[in-house]
Amino acid sequence: MFKTYQSPKFYDEMMEQDGSVRDHYREFHNMINQFSSEELREKHETAQLSFLRQGITFTVYNDNIGTERTMPFDFIPIIMPPATWDTIEKGMIQRAEALNLFLEDIYNEQHILNDGVIPRELVEQNPNYFRDQVGGVKIPLNNHIFLAGIDLIKDQEGTYRVLEDNLRNPSGMSYVYQNRYVMRQVYPEFFNRHSIHSLEEQLSNMQEAVLSHVPKHCSKKARAVLLTPGMFNSAYYDHVFLAQQMGIELVEGRDLKVRNGIVYMKTIRGLQRVDIIYRRIDDDYLDPKAFKPDSALGVEGLLEAYRKGNVAILNGIGNGVADDKAMYAYVPEMIRYYLDEEPIIPNVDTYFMRNEEQRNWALERLDELVVKNVGASGGYDMLIGPHASEHEIAAFKSKILEDPNQYIAQPTIQLSRAPVFQDGDFYPCHVDLRVFVMRGEKTNVLPGGLSRVALKKGSLVVNSSQGGGGKDTWVLKGGEG
Amino acid sequence: MLSRVADSLYWMSRNIERAENNARVLGVQLIQMLEASSEESLANHDWETVIEICGSLQEFNQLYDRFTVTNIIDYLAFSEDNLSSVLNCIKFARENARTTRDIIPNDLFEVWNDLYLESSRMFIPEGSINEVHSFLKQVKIASLTSQGVIESSMSRGVPYRFIKIAKWLERAEKTARILNVLSEKSEKDAERADGTNYYYWRSALQLLNGYDEYLKKYPPRMNEKDVLTFLLSDEAFPRSIQYCMDHVREAIIALEGARVSHYSWRMYAALDLLMEEFNEEHINSLQVHEFSSFLDNFQDRCNDISLIFSQTYYLIEPASVP
Repeated sequence: MFKTYQSPKFYDEMMEQDGSVRDHYREFHNMINQFSSEELREKHETAQLSFLRQGITFTVYNDNIGTERTMPFDFIPIIMPPATWDTIEKGMIQRAEALNLFLEDIYNEQHILNDGVIPRELVEQNPNYFRDQVGGVKIPLNNHIFLAGIDLIKDQEGTYRVLEDNLRNPSGMSYVYQNRYVMRQVYPEFFNRHSIHSLEEQLSNMQEAVLSHVPKHCSKKARAVLLTPGMFNSAYYDHVFLAQQMGIELVEGRDLKVRNGIVYMKTIRGLQRVDIIYRRIDDDYLDPKAFKPDSALGVEGLLEAYRKGNVAILNGIGNGVADDKAMYAYVPEMIRYYLDEEPIIPNVDTYFMRNEEQRNWALERLDELVVKNVGASGGYDMLIGPHASEHEIAAFKSKILEDPNQYIAQPTIQLSRAPVFQDGDFYPCHVDLRVFVMRGEKTNVLPGGLSRVALKKGSLVVNSSQGGGGKDTWVLKGGEG
Repeated sequence: MLSRVADSLYWMSRNIERAENNARVLGVQLIQMLEASSEESLANHDWETVIEICGSLQEFNQLYDRFTVTNIIDYLAFSEDNLSSVLNCIKFARENARTTRDIIPNDLFEVWNDLYLESSRMFIPEGSINEVHSFLKQVKIASLTSQGVIESSMSRGVPYRFIKIAKWLERAEKTARILNVLSEKSEKDAERADGTNYYYWRSALQLLNGYDEYLKKYPPRMNEKDVLTFLLSDEAFPRSIQYCMDHVREAIIALEGARVSHYSWRMYAALDLLMEEFNEEHINSLQVHEFSSFLDNFQDRCNDISLIFSQTYYLIEPASVP
């Protein structure tokens, strides 16, 4: 089947440059070769349908009309040898720890700003810095980051690099589970030949991590809920899945009520106290009293309850200051400053357009660089130099000059590729990996994570809202690979 | 359990039951139409009955300019404007199931989601009665499968009771409505020959899926009093009003752990009031011409109970916040 598969120029997850199969893919490669293309096509369709039937969909909005779509699934997994995973796991724990110390610091004494390691205005002028609202608030475990989703890519040398930190409401964990579930249903024969890390116990770790955030004032037995914006949110299935698996109530803003600084939920037996809220609503919409006054999703008075220590909110309020694309460039400095360690997983080099020297350098070679808006996400407001027309480059040039604080530039990374099977054909596509870090009294990293793939031939954008798909991710157990 | 979730379970369950009932009524009528095709006037007359049972004649006349079979099928099965059209019931049940996915069995969601996905992709060319039939059949099967999933996999806890209460209430109301509409028609037609009445009561049994069960208990002669007694107060037939309300009561008692509390006494009182009128003696003493007002009264009481039920469990916001 793979006879025609070639992946020149880029690092390929499965093939060596000389065309031989990498060791940890060999078993899988042999097995695939035993299927006929008819069998593969059939299995591919079964898998796709299974997502739709189970209602594992996300909602895409176009002119305010929502359509439910499934995330395209590709059955060729990303396989990782034990040593590689070991490094990633350590690197992610280190990075999340440093980011948390940073958040704790800037909402309290601000040592890192006073010592001049990070420019003060970058923090204080950041629209997601909520010092007025949550500065100095004591929170359980001093933990701002309960769940981080850190996006990694591999460059042409095969080195993993961090592309982005998501410290607000990273979504996609349910897909990791569903990808695995569907793989087991459709390709059971793969699993008896590989020994891979399972995912099951991670959900009870996650539940423990939620419940370990006991607020200062709390009921006898802490009650946790998951706060969702509701079924029209694009990640609603994620919310349903996590609430169900952790055995906590899935609530909407209208189900909660704050009375005398204490949060209650409205049940059929009257009001019941809520102690811990894993929220999947953005800061801005959380409490119309403290943030956007017109928010219909939030709960009035929630911030007051949080400040009084009557309720824990996960992830912490105001995390957005630490995960935008400008602050990203300083994370290696944070790791050195707070932990006195070298970053285990490096960043992608980043140039600030606010810095005149770097700006001038970058403006001369926009056709080689990737330019990103520091406030945008999901692949929007982004220039990929080598793929852009002269017209697009000129447009970005004037955007940068108009508002240099808003942009950063990075060298174009030759994103690694992995084989996919779509439309009856194998071809290489660019991939990235979102790793989920769960922090409570202990820190756990979900083995593997969500591999996202740009299914359009040649595309670099992996976001599901723009035609990206998912793959299962296997971490092989020690002794193999 | 959250009040919002209880409310969603309640409406999911009512809409599943309503989808099945309305699908059955429409299906029965489509077959009768073919049988009675020689008597054009009679058939038209019947369609009015069916629209009154599953929707509103007034609404139909606002939406359509002509009384054709195509329009009637459209109104009852597919119309977006008719809140009780089969397609709307499927959609509402699915939306409510989606907001309670963390509570209901996965199989239940999948059964109903399948039905929703298939019916929203479906295209039925005008006039193809066979395809309408197979759609209606699909709806009935999905509802029966859903009930099977609920019975065989849900713990007998609060969510289960809410689902059951909603189902029995919906069913009782539908039986009452069918009897009410038909007894009114039969009264108007009192001067007609016996055969006409026979036709109405056989219809009632068919629309309620009770024809076969009735025959097991009563002689094949359609005596209207027998039919009414069977559909109103039979203790064993699972669509009689008596049976449905017994089960509403049973589910409420289980929900409340057999206790009457300060917040629940009104609900018990309303149920008791309703059940009192339902003893067999009372029903037997009624004259046929009294049935209509008796059933009107019953439907009002049912509405009261739905309202008190919603208030008891905070399913609706109280009118004034203290």
